[in-house]
Amino acid sequence: MTSSVLRQKAEAEASHLLPLLVQADYLAGAILLGEHGRRRSGLGDDFWQYRPVQIGDSKRYIDHRRSASGDVDFVREREWKIAQSVIFWVDQGASMRWGSKKNRPRKIDHSRLLALATAILSVRGGERVGLTNVTLPPRCERQQIFRMAEAFSQDAEVDYEPPDYSAMKSHSRAVFISDFLSDMDVIREALGEAVNKGIKGVLLQVLDPDEELFPYQGRTIFDSVGGTLTHQTLKASDLRSQYLDRLANRKLELRVLASEVGWQYGRHQTDRDPQSALLWLYGALDGTAT
Amino acid sequence: MTVLDGFGFTTPWLLWGLAALPILWLILRAVPPAPARRTFPAVSLLLGLKDDDRISDRTPWWLLFLRMLIVALMIIGLAGPVRNPQDDQAGNAGPLLILFDGSWSAAPYWTTVLDVLNRAIDQAGRTGRPTALVQLTVPEKPIFQTASMWRTRVGGFEPKPWFPDTTRIEAFMDDLEIEEFDTIWLSDGLTYDGHETLLTDLEERGQVHVFQMSRPIYALVPAQFDAGDIQLTVRRAFSRAEEHINILAMGRDPSGTERVFDSLVATFSRDATETETEISLPAELRNRVTRFDIQEQTSAGAVTLADDSLKRREVLLVTGREDREGPELLSPIHYLERALSPTTELITGSLIEFLPSNPDVIVLADIATLTPNEEIALIEWVQNGGLLLWFAGPRLASSDIARAEEHSLMPVRLRVGGRNIGGAMSWGAPKTLAPFSKSSPFHRLVVPDDVTVKTQVLAQPDPDLAQRVIASLSDGTPLVTRKAVENGQVILFHVTANAEWSTLPLSGLFVEMLERLAVSSSVKTPDPVEFAGTTWTPVQVMDGFGRLTDARNEVGIDGADMIAGSLGPDLMPGVYQSDGRRIARNVFGMADHLLPIDWPAHVVVEQASLYSERPLGGMVLGMAIVLLLADVLATLALTGRIGTLRAINSIIALAVFMVIATVVPSDADDVDARAALATSDVVLAHVITGNPRVDEIAEAGLRGLSATLYQRTTVEPAGPIGVDLEGDELAFFSLLYWPISEDQPTPSVEAYSRLNTYLRLGGMIVFDTRDADTAALGIVGRNERKLQDIARSIDIPQLEPLPSDHVLTRSFYLLQDFPGRYASRKVWVEAAPSDAERIEGMPFRTLNDGVSPVVIGGNDWAAAWAINADGHPMLPVGRGLSGERQRELAYRFGVNLVMHVLTGNYKSDQVHVPALLERLGQ
Repeated sequence: MTSSVLRQKAEAEASHLLPLLVQADYLAGAILLGEHGRRRSGLGDDFWQYRPVQIGDSKRYIDHRRSASGDVDFVREREWKIAQSVIFWVDQGASMRWGSKKNRPRKIDHSRLLALATAILSVRGGERVGLTNVTLPPRCERQQIFRMAEAFSQDAEVDYEPPDYSAMKSHSRAVFISDFLSDMDVIREALGEAVNKGIKGVLLQVLDPDEELFPYQGRTIFDSVGGTLTHQTLKASDLRSQYLDRLANRKLELRVLASEVGWQYGRHQTDRDPQSALLWLYGALDGTAT
Repeated sequence: MTVLDGFGFTTPWLLWGLAALPILWLILRAVPPAPARRTFPAVSLLLGLKDDDRISDRTPWWLLFLRMLIVALMIIGLAGPVRNPQDDQAGNAGPLLILFDGSWSAAPYWTTVLDVLNRAIDQAGRTGRPTALVQLTVPEKPIFQTASMWRTRVGGFEPKPWFPDTTRIEAFMDDLEIEEFDTIWLSDGLTYDGHETLLTDLEERGQVHVFQMSRPIYALVPAQFDAGDIQLTVRRAFSRAEEHINILAMGRDPSGTERVFDSLVATFSRDATETETEISLPAELRNRVTRFDIQEQTSAGAVTLADDSLKRREVLLVTGREDREGPELLSPIHYLERALSPTTELITGSLIEFLPSNPDVIVLADIATLTPNEEIALIEWVQNGGLLLWFAGPRLASSDIARAEEHSLMPVRLRVGGRNIGGAMSWGAPKTLAPFSKSSPFHRLVVPDDVTVKTQVLAQPDPDLAQRVIASLSDGTPLVTRKAVENGQVILFHVTANAEWSTLPLSGLFVEMLERLAVSSSVKTPDPVEFAGTTWTPVQVMDGFGRLTDARNEVGIDGADMIAGSLGPDLMPGVYQSDGRRIARNVFGMADHLLPIDWPAHVVVEQASLYSERPLGGMVLGMAIVLLLADVLATLALTGRIGTLRAINSIIALAVFMVIATVVPSDADDVDARAALATSDVVLAHVITGNPRVDEIAEAGLRGLSATLYQRTTVEPAGPIGVDLEGDELAFFSLLYWPISEDQPTPSVEAYSRLNTYLRLGGMIVFDTRDADTAALGIVGRNERKLQDIARSIDIPQLEPLPSDHVLTRSFYLLQDFPGRYASRKVWVEAAPSDAERIEGMPFRTLNDGVSPVVIGGNDWAAAWAINADGHPMLPVGRGLSGERQRELAYRFGVNLVMHVLTGNYKSDQVHVPALLERLGQ
């Protein structure tokens, strides 16, 4: 590949990238950050509480301004704040590159948008962001957002991409965004690995409305996006209830799996406003949303 | 085999193609529609799912059926179907007689009759046969001439309002000169005397083709009186179905315009040939009824004319002696009442009071003095056609009325005192009545022997006296005298109306005399004998279509003929008049029935076809094409290439396009459903502003608030409803959330009046300008200006910023802030009355009753309440945790708001609780 072709391609990619970034930035802008303190005393800038001096406290911790107003000496404690790492995995598989209608966003569009917006919010909140794989370890800098956007713009060829958890940093927060239509065992494995490393996180299942409703009928051959899987039916409408059962099972499985490992499980449908999903996502990371 | 009647094919052999259909069925059945290919990521979930076993890999039967139908229609269409194929009665070349009944029963279908005649003539013209055309109701000597001569005359024939009868048929048969000819006979379908002999005669002369009209025929029997109601009987022929016939009562209003007074429905049950119905009309209307019509039946039989037998004349009885202390039988008007009440509308009262109601007859029983006013009014009334009937009596006898000169309201001059005969103090026996003279209206009434007169008032012998006497006693003294006064007349009975002076009121003659004088109306059916010798002139006559024409210049007819004679050119049906009485001669009598004609078995009766030959091939092929389109849509739908919904839509659109039948959706059901929805549960409502984003947030906000209420309180609202101010009823909602957006149209006048009614009846509107973030800076925002604009016409009381002791601060949660998405403290509610005071020891003032009709703020509450379908908040509020707190407070404010609306000042009353508890404790 000559360099000119490469550059052309890169520029084309970059032109995709920019709207995504702008959109994500815009989306993130709607949320005002609250610094998510740990709600316990520790290292940090903000005042947490005054407490009387106990044995063992170093004298230099005594807050003289507070202590001077009475006989008891007080120690000023600060809230414990740490910078966290938030690592993302966005399913880049072919199955995500699908929207049921022409003017409906593809699942992957919303997924990337949500991941990037969360990343922007996290960076603004002073966290480090990165990917679950080795390509992009967590960092806290604005440049990291561009790198993530770049990473997100690379489509995978396979139909259902398994989560790449090769480089998950211990005790970080993880965001897994996918349609979770692939093999459940892979996901279970990934979550197990995450739990082993003490990682808490969020599963966001992004689905298309047509996947939720299955509004098909008649004699139909269903192909997966990548073309690897095919299913033929004589009467699609008869399959609906069975399909919906399986989908509901899958959702339940995910919810149970998430609750078992202390993760949060959420859903997003591509015909809905991504803002409310972002609100939930951010809240879930923060520990405030349910 | 009526189904196939009137159908034929130009190339019938093509129909053998239908035999190939079963083979086609088998072939098509084996070839199902091709599958659709779809991309679907969730196919991983589909893997391994099995189709239902019963679904075979074949074309569904209905699609097959549709295709079979298409092919069948194409074959039939190509075979050239023809409606009413004409087979010429070829072969014969002799003269042709075209006979048709032409009675009124064919009148509704007269164009068809003319059509059939024209076709018969054309056919005869094509074969060059000399033709004669004869209408049997008015038969003329048949003239055989070229058909084209008749062609021009056909349009001139009209149905006659009678049937052919024996005499006319015989006269016609005598006129026949040519011995050999064929006949086409177009029968109206009803039987009449003489048709059999005519048929035999015609058959001897040549072939007879009979065409028959078998369309439904309805006839109306003359109306009968029955206990105050008018009874109408309808008869029918050639229709056996259950049907409803509309009958119209027609008459003239006071200005002389013909109007429909009433319409009534007669219902034929299945297979019935006769039905009855009743109509009750006020006397005033009933007297004006001139005829009853069967609606949309333009035939003489469907019209029945009303005459005197339906009229109830209004008779005003005026008597001098109003005290009714004496025995009933001595009352001057007792016998009059008895005689008149069955057949007239009686009014009893004073002259001046009732004269304006313009009665037909006024009876003055023993009245001697009239005030000048009464006299003038009476004279005018008589001149305009009133009938004034005097009865003598003691007062009249002793009064000075009509003594010296003739009174304008008295037929004769009266002598003083009158005379007594046959009494204890007088000579002679009571007098009997002389037979009535020929000029008298009482002519031919039989005088019973036992009618005697003891006392009478006597007439002065004047030159006019002899003409004016219409009844006299055996000694020649007048008993009843009459004088015409312009259009009206005055009649004097020289005896009393009670039995004091004579036994006349006790006899049946009295009733008959009153009837003859047209004081009362006849209830008997007219008797020819009684009418013999009288001359009746037609007023209006009716043609076969039931149309009435004026006939004042027609000659008079003898009464007996009029009653009993059969209808014909000399006796047209219509209304006849004689001597102030009117009798209707109707086409269809009580005893007449509609009997289908009974042809001998050897006669082949053909239905007179209504339309000329019409090829149907194009239509059938067109249908096939329509079905083909339907098949395309069905196939697409079946393979899932278009959604079923869209397929149905297209089919409906196509059907609408083809049939051009629009179904108007019923609005009422929709409104009712809304009402049921809004009233079965508590429902929060928001005003639809027309700005989709604002409306969406308002809806989501109320959904969030409803969910919160459901979780936390006993208020369990159903989903919120958007309200269109211009069309929707507001009364069902207790709370109306109204987000103000700049681009919102100002409501119409009706909407404002609805809004004000809503507020007056206790509704609450929450206005939200949604701009507290900018308005806090002291700028009048654009939404605020819009609010001022909108609220100008709304009945809003004086407002104040929400005081800290307002019931909104404690109706569920204790609140002092009312944030929404913005946290401004500027919330306005109805001002407390100026005399509200704080009682010592109470935390709150005793405030006004009722709910503040408006709450105005700009905190964009709906945005804070808004949740999406998953129950997650739709929009961010504030910063982080404090934002969540603000959202919580917003919800609390919403809860308080709804509680305040639903419980009113209940929480305000709670301030008395300590006092009550204290009192209970003692």
